[in-house]
Amino acid sequence: MKPNPNLDELLSSFMDGELSPRQRTEVQRLAAHDPQVARRLQQLQNCRSLFCALPAAKAPGDLLDQIKSSLERQSLLQETPLIGRRSLGAWQLAFRRFVSAAAALVLMGVLGAVIYQIVSPVPQGGAGSGADTARPVEREPAGAGTPALTVADGGFTGQLELRTARLVQADTFVARAIENSGLSVRTEPGLVESQRVYRIAGSRASVNRFVASLSGVWNNFDGAVLRVDRPDSPEASVVVEAVTPEQAYAIVAQNSTEASVAAATGYAVANHLEKNMPGHEIRPLNQYQPGSLLAAINKPMPKETGPDTSVPTAPSPEPEAKVSLTIVLRNL
Amino acid sequence: MRTASINIDDSVLVQQSQAGDTASMERLILKYQHRIYNVILKMCGNADDAAELAQETFVKVIESIEKFKGRSSFYTWLFRIAVNLTLNHCQRSARTATRSLDAEEVDPAGETGQLLKDLLSDDRAVDPAVLAQSHELCDLAKRLLLELEEPQRAVVVLRDIEGMDYAQIADVLNIELGTVRSRLSRARSHLRETLETMLK
Repeated sequence: MKPNPNLDELLSSFMDGELSPRQRTEVQRLAAHDPQVARRLQQLQNCRSLFCALPAAKAPGDLLDQIKSSLERQSLLQETPLIGRRSLGAWQLAFRRFVSAAAALVLMGVLGAVIYQIVSPVPQGGAGSGADTARPVEREPAGAGTPALTVADGGFTGQLELRTARLVQADTFVARAIENSGLSVRTEPGLVESQRVYRIAGSRASVNRFVASLSGVWNNFDGAVLRVDRPDSPEASVVVEAVTPEQAYAIVAQNSTEASVAAATGYAVANHLEKNMPGHEIRPLNQYQPGSLLAAINKPMPKETGPDTSVPTAPSPEPEAKVSLTIVLRNL
Repeated sequence: MRTASINIDDSVLVQQSQAGDTASMERLILKYQHRIYNVILKMCGNADDAAELAQETFVKVIESIEKFKGRSSFYTWLFRIAVNLTLNHCQRSARTATRSLDAEEVDPAGETGQLLKDLLSDDRAVDPAVLAQSHELCDLAKRLLLELEEPQRAVVVLRDIEGMDYAQIADVLNIELGTVRSRLSRARSHLRETLETMLK
């Protein structure tokens, strides 16, 4: 019989019992009436029996053990990187803890220093009578010779006169501020009861630290005058009357002698106008003199009313430049 | 002393396995290990590969048992894993069906030749028990299987050796029921043609 794919598929399904009852009845009828269909069906059944007769193979007896071993190997393989990840995580955790601890220590140190500055004993009755824990400002005995403090190129010399009715308290505060600013200091010979004189010298930054530390009590002074010596003629100083701490800060913060003198000049003019024309707002001097050195001055603006609360932004001072300033505390 | 074997339904063992009961998983493995191994062996034709693939199958079952949702039976899910692994293995390795049986000579007067004639006879049925006693014929049958194309081989093995119905085969192989029917028919027709060629 010539193979017929459709018939073979029908007969194959018939052998496997995968036909519907109607199809099954139809195949049975075909096989009963057509000998060729019957013989084809017999051939297919015999061929199928060849595979059905194949003996079933049994799995190796140690298959279960092999499965367990395989799982254990995989578990080990998976645990290794897991351990690695854990170690890495532990290292990261340890590193974070170390950094946190270091940051906490640094923070505690900073806070401790701040707290120490706040609560440490303040020397009473002059710089020389401070507590043991505080380094007192050393004063040279009256009448002793005072070597001149040198000023490096780019710095300036000057004098800051602070007038106060409470000299002792002011002196204590100033001495403390000098000490904390890291400035070298010499007392002026001929100390008298009505005034205290310090000669301080240091970088612009350290002098400004001193000025900044005075800003909180600046209003307690009854007057402040800053004199800045001109480099070409020290006897003709620029006098800034009623100087504010911001102005003093800005003058010190300039990066050259000329700039400091120019700034002082600008503030001197501004403060003079302010004094003689009360109620008028004084515009920045660099608007009146464009192109001059004053244009580069970074200074606070005098205002019509209220205190100047602006924070001075100073350019970076020259580390080598020194400022020599004579602090005069004058009792009214 | 008789030992009573407790026949627990697969779904119960699966649930217990999913709950972490290793004894239940062992029971499932012991229950199906021979059938899985037999199917794999008939498909790949190598005992070592079959053992390795059976092992890989059960390892994968253990690893994936938690993901088994029961949309199909555990039985077809298990065989799907085994057949897929085996088919992938057969595709990777060219170990199977490396020689054609068309030109293989069988002595028509010998015992195997006579059995083949009986198989091809269209007027009487052959006793499978007699066929099974002939090692030579069994070896020939194994080689005939390996000569089939892999999709056809898988269908024949699952039907004639494992005894699955068409629906289960379709589920295992993820194919249509009609595809199972046609593949099986073509495989049997091809087998018969090969046997006829061998006896000529």
